[in-house]
Amino acid sequence: MATIAGKEHWIKEHWLGVLALILALVFWACYAALIVKNSFLLPGPGDVLLAFIDLLQKGILLADFGVSLMHFAIGLSGAILIGIPIGIAMGWNRKADEFLNPLIEILRPIPPLAWIPFAIIWFGFTPVSAGFVIFVGAFFPILINTYTGFRGVPRIFVEAGRMLGCTKTNDQIRYIAFPAALPSVVSGIRIATGVGWMCLVAAELFGVSNYGLGKNLWFYYNLHQMDAVVVYMLLLGMIGLAIDMVFRYYIDRHFLKWRTGEVA
Amino acid sequence: MGRLTILNLNQSFPREDGSRLQVLEDFSLEVQDKEFVCILGSSGCGKTTLLRLIAGLDTGESGSIILDGEEMKGTNPKVGMVFQEYSLFPWRTVIDNIAFGLEMQGINKEERYHIAERYLNLVNLTQFRNSYPSELSGGMRQRVAVARALAVDPVLLLMDEPFGALDAQTRNMLQTELLTIWEKTKKTVVFITHSVDEAVFLADRIIVLTPRPGRICETIPLSLPRPRDRTSVEFAQLRRHVLDLINQPKCTLQ
Amino acid sequence: MNALKISAFALLALALLLFTAGCTQQAATPKISELRIGYQPSTHQMAHTTAMEKGWWKADLAPLGVQNVTDKVFPSGPPEMQAMLAGDLDIAYVGAAPVLSALATGLDAKIVAGVNTQGSDLVVSNNLDYKGPQSLAGKTIATFPAGSIQDTVLREWLKKNNLSPDKDVFIKGMTPGDAVTAITAGKVDAIFLPTPSPSTVVNQGKGRIVVHSGEMYPNHTCCVLVVSGKLIREHPEIVRQIIRTNDKAVAWNQQNLDEAAAIYAKKTGANLADVKSSLQEWDGSWVSDPNIIVDPVLDYAKFQYDLGYIKKPLTKDDIFDLSFYKKS
Repeated sequence: MATIAGKEHWIKEHWLGVLALILALVFWACYAALIVKNSFLLPGPGDVLLAFIDLLQKGILLADFGVSLMHFAIGLSGAILIGIPIGIAMGWNRKADEFLNPLIEILRPIPPLAWIPFAIIWFGFTPVSAGFVIFVGAFFPILINTYTGFRGVPRIFVEAGRMLGCTKTNDQIRYIAFPAALPSVVSGIRIATGVGWMCLVAAELFGVSNYGLGKNLWFYYNLHQMDAVVVYMLLLGMIGLAIDMVFRYYIDRHFLKWRTGEVA
Repeated sequence: MGRLTILNLNQSFPREDGSRLQVLEDFSLEVQDKEFVCILGSSGCGKTTLLRLIAGLDTGESGSIILDGEEMKGTNPKVGMVFQEYSLFPWRTVIDNIAFGLEMQGINKEERYHIAERYLNLVNLTQFRNSYPSELSGGMRQRVAVARALAVDPVLLLMDEPFGALDAQTRNMLQTELLTIWEKTKKTVVFITHSVDEAVFLADRIIVLTPRPGRICETIPLSLPRPRDRTSVEFAQLRRHVLDLINQPKCTLQ
Repeated sequence: MNALKISAFALLALALLLFTAGCTQQAATPKISELRIGYQPSTHQMAHTTAMEKGWWKADLAPLGVQNVTDKVFPSGPPEMQAMLAGDLDIAYVGAAPVLSALATGLDAKIVAGVNTQGSDLVVSNNLDYKGPQSLAGKTIATFPAGSIQDTVLREWLKKNNLSPDKDVFIKGMTPGDAVTAITAGKVDAIFLPTPSPSTVVNQGKGRIVVHSGEMYPNHTCCVLVVSGKLIREHPEIVRQIIRTNDKAVAWNQQNLDEAAAIYAKKTGANLADVKSSLQEWDGSWVSDPNIIVDPVLDYAKFQYDLGYIKKPLTKDDIFDLSFYKKS
């Protein structure tokens, strides 16, 4: 991020990216208007903009965003609260690793979408139900990155700690392993954030709430209003990007400033 | 205070083919209080194994390690260690690294910073108090490592080729600085190296080890008064003397 | 230089992808080598399952130049209409409401015949002491998503009984599979679904039928037969035969209920006992005369327009082509 102030400087640094976006927009508009000529098969940017303004006026976008954020927060915090301790246990203790590993490896490839029946059965139509589907997506990156981080703590840190009086396992985890593994843990959370956000659409598929970016995406799909569907798709994309940027610029910088000496 | 007795230490490691490699066999050594001893030997002679046993990081198969009349089992706050590689905690600032051992002892923040700052001064890095290890050069990091080990006031300081990864100039400078600190703090030091020059410059006594199994093949007391001038004739003579002893058959045979 | 090459290649690939997506519109060729029928797993549409499995579609349409007939099952109306909008279906057995939203979006098709009237049930869970519509206040009902017949009929009925949907009663839209799961797990208080789903719930002991959709809206249209505009314009004789075959299947079903149930159960994988009980209890009729459903369907259209589900009002001529049906 440019620390030297000035919009001009920002544009100079990012002009390639901006150019790509403009070209894509133009390409999209021309292709839709001149070749496809069917706003059901491919709504043009104009259709989408009108649909966006219409949705804004109806006032539902803010409610959608709020509800989706809530589902997302439930899923992500569950993944953090459960994934990190298990990752620590498996990373630090070989027996725990051997015990839990086969179970994890079998559950991991099951897509979040496939858990919807159990979401309904266990949690009904509560926000926790939608949060659960997101949890399934976010859990494994956090678990695996925490595990890898803990496994990868250089032995020399632990030994130096032992020489300085850090001999109890709890202290070793708290004062040495966890700080050493933190970059990996944070990385896991960041990946989980991306994956979890992508699960929103699956999470809000089954009528869990009256609002939600995913929920209304399906609502308008059922009514064949593809221009509104594209509005929600783009909103999902841009908000997902914003969340990732928060991670990259704020959390990375705050928690990991001791790494600034390394290649970013 | 700081008198180390090693008695009949045995240590072996399993090989891939199932047999065992005897690294130390019936090893004994006496280090006097406040003595600076260098353990000299080529790689694979068991010097690191020995140091780790003294530190309590590993346990020997038999034999005992006695400090000031008490047998040691496992790590001990009276024994400090400076490792060869990068061992500073990268997520802690310099001052927090130095204060780590004090924090483990439960000393409160104000007091432990006070103590840590003293050792920070001792290694002449006061202006880097709040820097992170990643911002320091290799030589500076090792100085912080020394300060960190000393902050808990051990009576015995173990050093495993601490300057091995540094360039010659920094190395020489740190050797001089180490001697200054040693004279000020009056610790017993067991220093491992494979450099004859380093051993001659630093030690009161050089213990030469032969490998597999590790055994003392020669003990060389050095009486040249300090500070020792690396370019002086006496130094060169001492060096020649040590080299001759090392090259004896009993020290070179496998 | 390499990055630019990669970007250009990616854009080209994207363009090709979109181009082929646009191409599906032109997939239908003037000669009908393959006739594609869409349907849903509901006993409402048993005429299709019988005609398909007995080979009647193929046999009756072969003389008219149709070489092959295939069918595709959809869990609900909207995806079926999506497929038709994309040009992947020629004929659809579908609820009347999804057709309307598709027509409003530009679907080139017409309703040429009815399929059935009524035939959906309100099933309440065993803890709900149902004494009348007011018992539903504060409760959650699962049904098809917004824009469907069930959603429309349910909402109109609740309104008639002074219950405001979304304020007094909570309606959740989902697929029938999820709805049955939900009431079985005790997560919703009631479901409103077409047969045979209600019987599935009842036979598992998880609920009881309290209202038939015919009580909510007498003789309401449920499923209809929709044919693509292309087929209508280019092969009217095929459209006429389709209706005749449909009627033949309906007549046969009514005479051979058990065998028809078996055919349906085998094709859709439904539980045979559930299918049989649903045929006993339902209040639906297989009726193909489109003339009698014109008014109910226009009613739906107005309702959807008022709700904002469709953006423009639809007229009778937008929706129907009544010329093909001949009263027998």
